[in-house]
Amino acid sequence: MKAISSDFAPPLKLISPFFSAGVVFYLLSMVALLFFEPTFIYQQMDVAGWIHLFMLGFVMMIIFGAMAQLVPVVLEAGHAVVDVYYVIFPLLLTGASLMVIGFWVVPQILPYGGLLVLVAMIIFATENIATLKKTTISTLTIKTVAWSNGYLLLGILTGFAIALGFSGQLNINISLMLKAHVYAVIGGYVVLTIIGLSLILIPMFSLAHGFKEDAIQKAFKLVVTGVAIVFIGAIFSQEWLMYVGYAINTIGVLFYIWQIYIIAKLTVRKELDVWAKSMIFAFGTFIFAIILGIIYLLSAKESILHASVWFLLLGFISSMITGHLYKIVPFLVWFERFAPLVGKEKVPMLHEMYSKEGASMMFNFTVAGVVLGGFGLLFESDILFKAGASFLLTGAIFLFIGMRKMLAYGK
Amino acid sequence: MCSITKENVFDAISTVIDPEVGFNLVEMGLIYDAIVDEKCNVHVIMTLSTQGCPLHQMITTWVKEAVERIEDIGEIEVEVVWEPAWNISMADDNVKQTLGAM
Repeated sequence: MKAISSDFAPPLKLISPFFSAGVVFYLLSMVALLFFEPTFIYQQMDVAGWIHLFMLGFVMMIIFGAMAQLVPVVLEAGHAVVDVYYVIFPLLLTGASLMVIGFWVVPQILPYGGLLVLVAMIIFATENIATLKKTTISTLTIKTVAWSNGYLLLGILTGFAIALGFSGQLNINISLMLKAHVYAVIGGYVVLTIIGLSLILIPMFSLAHGFKEDAIQKAFKLVVTGVAIVFIGAIFSQEWLMYVGYAINTIGVLFYIWQIYIIAKLTVRKELDVWAKSMIFAFGTFIFAIILGIIYLLSAKESILHASVWFLLLGFISSMITGHLYKIVPFLVWFERFAPLVGKEKVPMLHEMYSKEGASMMFNFTVAGVVLGGFGLLFESDILFKAGASFLLTGAIFLFIGMRKMLAYGK
Repeated sequence: MCSITKENVFDAISTVIDPEVGFNLVEMGLIYDAIVDEKCNVHVIMTLSTQGCPLHQMITTWVKEAVERIEDIGEIEVEVVWEPAWNISMADDNVKQTLGAM
């Protein structure tokens, strides 16, 4: 029998601040979108500020909170030092806020925000690596945790170098360092983490069984290799090498999508709840983002790149996260407040812990916002982009209210 | 001689509900066997729908507590196995129908 240790779950009070703050940052990101034009360049400070508000404040914040809960489940071993998450949270919260303010208002404080984020991520990665050493099993998900943490460290180190470069304290080629940074963080950390966790969470929630993992194994190897090649190409200014890396990564994520298709075909649970709809939308936008990315490489038209990145961030990554919030947060609250009452009194089912209407509104407004905003960027239409931002903001308000109600359920 | 039957044990376990899917463990087909000896000691053999289930230990505790409520029960052992792996064909028809698997 394979033993599973599941009594290592950290307390709700440790994890819930990550989810609460992450959703607030998501809401703020959507408010900020209203003040952007659909034509811009990535080197603009205000654009960099928005990317960090979204990526650090929302994406990283939620992933860190989720990893606090999921790492013991995946590794079948308790955290090395779970209490470090009490330190990581204020560091990431303050660092991300300072960085956004630095990009938008006071560039001089960028290195200080960057330093706090650097420290938070080093603690996070170190704790994960120490926890990895406790496990005796070796699965694909565990390999993704190991590799993604390595890329996270590379990403934050290059990011800190960029922060020093922006403030004039380090003489570096910011443009090249930016490419290395973006690829290490988004491709190396976020996408690898999503690949690893998908293999656990998607079959778990969809009750899919009996599938082979060949495609995702190939995806893992290709993405790890592709990100390394792009990173090296960017650091050593070898653009041809970066294109080789892009191609390998594209093939890697196509294998990943193929694996998800295999799992989806075996799905037993046909109910289209907010999680299932979010997954369908996430992978739909992921495929569309890849198609746009390939068209951009052939056409070099900047608006196509903007739309591709939009669908990747707000379509794929965002929907993967928000969809899972409606599964993970009720579970955490239920585990803390209702699990001890099982057999003694009536306890709620997980799906009863959030409003289905509210979740539907969140999903529908978000879908409309992503599609309209994406086409606003593609056609450089201000009115379409602003309409998209407005819908996204409305969706974010529903998410914010839903999160508050879920966290307060049974209190 | 023990008067507790395998059916009594299954009935007791059917009070344990998976909070994610909303079905009890017996109708989900997660309880493979319950062996009752002459001293009323019970050995429950069960599985879970996924190996990474974060409720693993809690569910086995609930099963044990449910069986403990049977009068004159002896020692209870709950064993979780992964072979044969659970699949939807092991569930009752009402589960398959509700999940949309029929």
